[in-house]
Amino acid sequence: MICRIGLLVFLLLASAAHGVEWQPARRDYSWSFPQDHWARSGYRTEWWYFTGHLTSEEEPRQRFGYQFTFFRIGLLSELPDLQSSWTTNNVIMGHAAISDLGSGRHLFSEVVYRAIPLLGGFGRYPDPVIAWSRAPAGTDGEWTLRWNGHAFNFSMRDKAQGMALQLTTRPAKRLVLQGPNGFSRKGEGPTAASQYYSFTRLLTEGTLSIDGERVRVRGESWMDKEFGTDQLGADQVGWDWFSLQLQDGREIMLYFLRNERGEIDFARGTLVSQEGETRYLNPGEWSVRSTQTWKSPKTGATYPSRWIVELSGENLRIVIVPELADQENRSHLVKNLFYWEGAVRIETAEGGRIGRGYVELVGYGTRSRPAI
Amino acid sequence: MTRYFVRSLGAHLRGGRSLYFLTIFGVALGVASVICIQIINRNALAAFRGGIQAVSGDADFSVLGRTPTFPERLYPEVLAEKGVAAAWPIYRIDVAVTDREAFFLDVVGFDFFAPVRMPWKGQRGDISNALAKHGWVAITPQLAEEMGWAVGDAFEVSSGSRRARLVVGALVDFQRVSPVASRKLAVMDIAQAQSLLGRRGQIHQIDIQAAEGTDLPALISRLQARLGPSVQVLTPEQRENLAAGLLSAFRLNLTALSLISLFVGLFLVYSSTQALLVRRRSEFGLLRSLGATRRQVFGLILGEVILLGGLGVALGLPLGYWAAEANVGVVSATLSNVYLLEEIESLQMPLWLYVLAALIGVGGAVAGALFPALDMSRKDTKSLLAVFTLHERVGSMAFPLFVTGTSILLGTGLWFWLFGWDWRPAGFVLGIALLIALPLFTPFLVQRITGWIRVRGFGLGYSLKSLGVRLQTTSFAVSSLAIAVTMLIGITLMIGSFRRTVEVWVNSSVKADIYVSTPSWRGRQSEATLDDDLVSALAAHPGVTAVDRLRKFFVYSGEQRISLAGVDMGLSGGETRFPLLGGETSEVFRKVRDDGAVLIGETLARKAGLGVGDRLSVFGPGGEVKLPIAGVYSDYSPGGGLAALDIRTMNRHFGPGPIHSLALYLEAGQDTERVVDELKARYAGTPLRIRSNRRLRERIFKIFDQTFAVTRLLQAMSLLIAVCGITLTLLILARERISELAVCRAVGAIRQQLFWIFVGKGVGMGLLGLGLGLVGGIALAGILIFVITRAYFGWTIQVYWPWLPVLQQIFTILAAAVLASLYPALRASQTPATELSRDDM
Repeated sequence: MICRIGLLVFLLLASAAHGVEWQPARRDYSWSFPQDHWARSGYRTEWWYFTGHLTSEEEPRQRFGYQFTFFRIGLLSELPDLQSSWTTNNVIMGHAAISDLGSGRHLFSEVVYRAIPLLGGFGRYPDPVIAWSRAPAGTDGEWTLRWNGHAFNFSMRDKAQGMALQLTTRPAKRLVLQGPNGFSRKGEGPTAASQYYSFTRLLTEGTLSIDGERVRVRGESWMDKEFGTDQLGADQVGWDWFSLQLQDGREIMLYFLRNERGEIDFARGTLVSQEGETRYLNPGEWSVRSTQTWKSPKTGATYPSRWIVELSGENLRIVIVPELADQENRSHLVKNLFYWEGAVRIETAEGGRIGRGYVELVGYGTRSRPAI
Repeated sequence: MTRYFVRSLGAHLRGGRSLYFLTIFGVALGVASVICIQIINRNALAAFRGGIQAVSGDADFSVLGRTPTFPERLYPEVLAEKGVAAAWPIYRIDVAVTDREAFFLDVVGFDFFAPVRMPWKGQRGDISNALAKHGWVAITPQLAEEMGWAVGDAFEVSSGSRRARLVVGALVDFQRVSPVASRKLAVMDIAQAQSLLGRRGQIHQIDIQAAEGTDLPALISRLQARLGPSVQVLTPEQRENLAAGLLSAFRLNLTALSLISLFVGLFLVYSSTQALLVRRRSEFGLLRSLGATRRQVFGLILGEVILLGGLGVALGLPLGYWAAEANVGVVSATLSNVYLLEEIESLQMPLWLYVLAALIGVGGAVAGALFPALDMSRKDTKSLLAVFTLHERVGSMAFPLFVTGTSILLGTGLWFWLFGWDWRPAGFVLGIALLIALPLFTPFLVQRITGWIRVRGFGLGYSLKSLGVRLQTTSFAVSSLAIAVTMLIGITLMIGSFRRTVEVWVNSSVKADIYVSTPSWRGRQSEATLDDDLVSALAAHPGVTAVDRLRKFFVYSGEQRISLAGVDMGLSGGETRFPLLGGETSEVFRKVRDDGAVLIGETLARKAGLGVGDRLSVFGPGGEVKLPIAGVYSDYSPGGGLAALDIRTMNRHFGPGPIHSLALYLEAGQDTERVVDELKARYAGTPLRIRSNRRLRERIFKIFDQTFAVTRLLQAMSLLIAVCGITLTLLILARERISELAVCRAVGAIRQQLFWIFVGKGVGMGLLGLGLGLVGGIALAGILIFVITRAYFGWTIQVYWPWLPVLQQIFTILAAAVLASLYPALRASQTPATELSRDDM
C-alpha cells in the first residue's frame, strides 16, 4: 500500500529542506503491538487505510464499497519552537469514499488540516484515539479513528456530499506483516521501502449514510498500516495496487510501481492462506494484465479497468472486474490530486464469482510525481 | 458653414492666442482640480479594496472582530457551519522595518494548509522552511527590488517593543491578484506570525468561501448567531462600505472644494467666451449679412467652444493626474495616520474618470458659453456691427440681481434655521447658497462702490470708475475672484481656528514630559505593545516621578468603530488630559475611577447622540458591555470617536493586556531632552519611539498640516483661475474699449498713463474681489466651523483669527492682481491713436 501517501502531490513542497531528518524503513524493525497501531512520528509518511464491502442489514441487495483513510504527512521531524497553537510538524489528511453498487454512484470526501489541537492530530498509546480531524468545512463534528481493543472504530461525515460512515471492526484473521518482518520494498534504492502490516479480513458493522439515508450495514474490510520515508525510486511515477479477498478464505495483496515509460519498475505481493500464513510473492511468480480501459470524463485520465491475474505457483487465474467504472477520487483541496480507488469483484475465467477486493490506480493522467 | 469653421479656425487661433489660451487654461484648471480629487478619493478606497482582494480575494465574506483580535477557537465553529465550503484564518499585523522611518510591512499570517489560492508557485522545501525557519516570509517582488532584498536575505522588523529577524523565503506577486495591492504585503505562516510578532490564541480574521448554491445572507445570519456578538460577518462590499464610511467626510469635503474650483473655472470660461465673442462681433455681423442664419452662427460659436473645452480637457487630465500624484503622499499619510487605512501606493485612473473629465470640461465650457453664444446669435446684423453695449443691460439688472442674491441667502438661512439643523448636508446647501449669492451681489456692489468715486484726473480714480461703467465684463472677473477669495479666506480661517483650538487642547491634554511608544504603533495596532519588564524599567529610570500608561484599541459600538483608551484615571493631576465640557471634575473622575464609568469624546457624543447619564455600549470578548457615561470631553479624533476609561475597568471587561504607550513625568528641574537622550542610549537595542513633549507636539501638528495639504492645493488652483480671470477681463477691456483708448491717445494721454490706468483697473478688481471675498470667506468659515465640521466630524472649533496668514493672503492676492494686469496693461498702452473709427468721432 505504498502508494497511497504518494497521492499528496502537494508534498512536493514539503521536502527535507530545513535540516529535517527522517528515519528510513528498516529490515530489523522491532514491531510492538498494539503500540504500532498509533502514529510513528520519526517517519515522514504514514497511513491507516480501510477498504471494504458492506451490505445493508435490512435490504441485502443494497451493497456498498467504501474507503476510509487517514494520512500523516510529516513536515518536520520535530515541532518548531514557536509560541503558537498553530505550530505543527504534521499534516493530517483524510479521504473517504462510498460506492453505491446498486445506484452506481461514487461519493468522495476529504479533509486536509495541519495537525494542531484545534483541527486534528494523532493520539498516543494508550489513548484510544489514533487519529482525528475536524470534519470537512460545512460539517459539524469530527472524523476519528480509534482502537477498540481488538481492531478499529472509525467514523466520518460530510454534509455537503451527503455521506457518513460509522463503522466498528474486529479481526476475522490475525494481523499479517507485508514483506519479511513487515519490511516492504518499493524499489532498488536503499530507502525505497516501508514498514507495512495488514488486517486482511476485518468483520465490519455499523452505519452508512448516503444522501441522508442511514443504512445499517455489515461486511468485511481490509486494513493497511504503513509508514516510511522516501519510498519511491527516482523515476517511479505511479502504481497499481490490489487487495483481494477470495471466497476460499485466502487473500492476495499485489502491487507494482511504474516508471515514466509505463513499464513495471518494481513489483511484490503477498499471499495469505486460510490460516493466516503468509507467502511473499516475487515478480516471477505472478502477473497482472489489464484487458480494458476507462477514461475519466472529469480528469481525462485513462485507467486500466479489467485485469487478468495469474499466480503460477498457486495455479490460480482470476479476472478482476470493477464493480463501477467511475470510482475516481478527485480532490478539491489538493491541486492535481486524483486517483482511481474502487471496489472490484473477482471472477473465474468463466465468470463465476469467487471473491471481492479493492484496487488503487495512481499516477495515471498526470505528470505530477508522488512525493513519498 | 462647416468649411468656414475649419478654414477660419487657424486664423482665429493665431489672432486671439491669449484669449484662447486663457479659455483652455480655465477649463484645464477646473478639470484638473476635480480629476485630482476624484483620483485621490477613488484610490483611497481602491487601496483598501486592493488589500481585501489580495488577502481575501477568494472569500465570499469574512469574520472580523469587534475588538482588534478574537479567539482562534471560533475557527472550528466557522468550519462546522453548513454551507461553508472553505475557511481560513488570518493573523494580520503591521510591523515597522528597522532603520527605515515610518516604513511598515503588512504581514499576513496564513495557514498554508488551508485551501486558499495563493499567487505563488512554491519551490521544493518552501513549506517546511515556512513552518520551521524562524522569520520565513514571502514578500512582493516590487518590495524586494525597492529594498534590494533577495531570497535568503534577512532584515529586522519590530512589532511593539519586540524585534524580529525576518528572512526572505519567497517572492509572491500579489499585484497579479489585485493590481492595486500593496507592495508592502508580506506573507508568513500563521504560527510564525503569532509567535514572532503577535499574540498566541488570537486571530484577526477568518475568510470564508460559501458552497455553491448557498443562500449567502442566510449563511451570514447563521454564522453571526453561532459566533456571537464579539465578531461580525461581513462581505467584501460591506467592509469597503465601512472604510468608505470612515472616509466619507474626508472625501466629501475634498469633492466640495474641487467643485468650488470648477465653479471658479466656469466663470473664467464664461468671461473668455464673452471676450472671444466681443472680438468677433463684427465677423458674426458680416456672416449674418451674407446670409448665415442665427442657428448657423450659434453652431459656429458652440463648435469652437466644444473644441476649446476638448483642448482644456486634454490639458486638464494630465494636470489633474500630476496634481494627484504630487499630493498622494500626504493624503496617503493622512489615510494611514488618521483613518488607519491602507496607504495609497499607486494611482489608477479608470475609464469613467476620462468620461467625467470630458463631461466637466466640454460640458462646463458649453455651459459657460451658452448664454453669451445665444445672446450673440440672437442679435440682428445691425447691432452686431454696431458698438458693443452689453454692459448697459447688466447695469440695469444690477439691483434685481442683488435682490435675487439677498433672497437666496435669506431664504436658505431661514430654511436652515427652521428645518436644516438636523440634516447633515445642510451646511453644504448654505455654502452653495453663499457661492451663488456672491456673484449676484457683485454688479450692484461694483456699481455702487465705483459710483462713489469721483474722478479728478486721468489716474487711479479714472481706472476704478471705469470698472463700474464696464459692468458685465468687470462683474465676472470680480465674482470669480470673490469666490476664490471666499474659499481661500474661509478655509484659512477654519484651518487657523482649528489649529489654534487643537493647540489649546494639546496644551491641556499633553502634559507629560516624555512619551514612549513603538515604531509599529499606528493606532489600530493592538500588537504594538510594550513589554511589562520594559515598562517597569522605564518607570524606574532616575528622575521619573510618575508614569501614565495607555492601552488603546478599537472596539465597535453598534456599527460604529471607536477607539477605546484605558489610562490610569487616578493619576495625580491627570484630569487635564480630558478637558471636560461640563460637570464637576472631581466627581466625574471619581465615577470613572471607582464606579467603572467612562468618558466619551465630544465627537462620539455628537455622532452617537450620547451624553452624561447614558450608557456606552461596546462589544468586548465576552459580548456587549454597557459602560455608564460620566463625562464628555473635548476631542478632535477623526472617525468614530474616542472613549476613555480607567485601565482597571478596561482589563476587567476586555481581559488584561499589555499597554501601548507610556507617558513619563520627570522631577522638577530635569532636562527633558537630556533624559530623552539617556533613554534612547539605554534602550538603543529596543524598538522604541521616545519623544519629548515638544517633539510630540511637533509630530501632532505635522500630521495636522498633512491632513490639510490637499485643501491648500485646491485653494491655490482656485486663486490661479481667478487671477487668470483678471488678466482675461483686462484683455477684454483693452480690446472692447480700443476706440476709447485711441481717443485718450489722441487727446494726449501717454503710454505710461494708459499702462497705469490698466494696472489700476487690475488692482481695483483685486480690491473689489478681495472685499467681497473677505466677507464671503468669513461667512464660509462660519459655515465650515459651526455647521459642516460639527455635522461630519463632531468637532467644536473655537474661532480664532489667524491674522498673519490672512494678511499674507491679502497681499498675495493684490500682488497677483497687479501681475495679472501687467500684460493687458502693456497691450492697452500700445494702442495707437489711429485705431479711432468714424463711429467714435
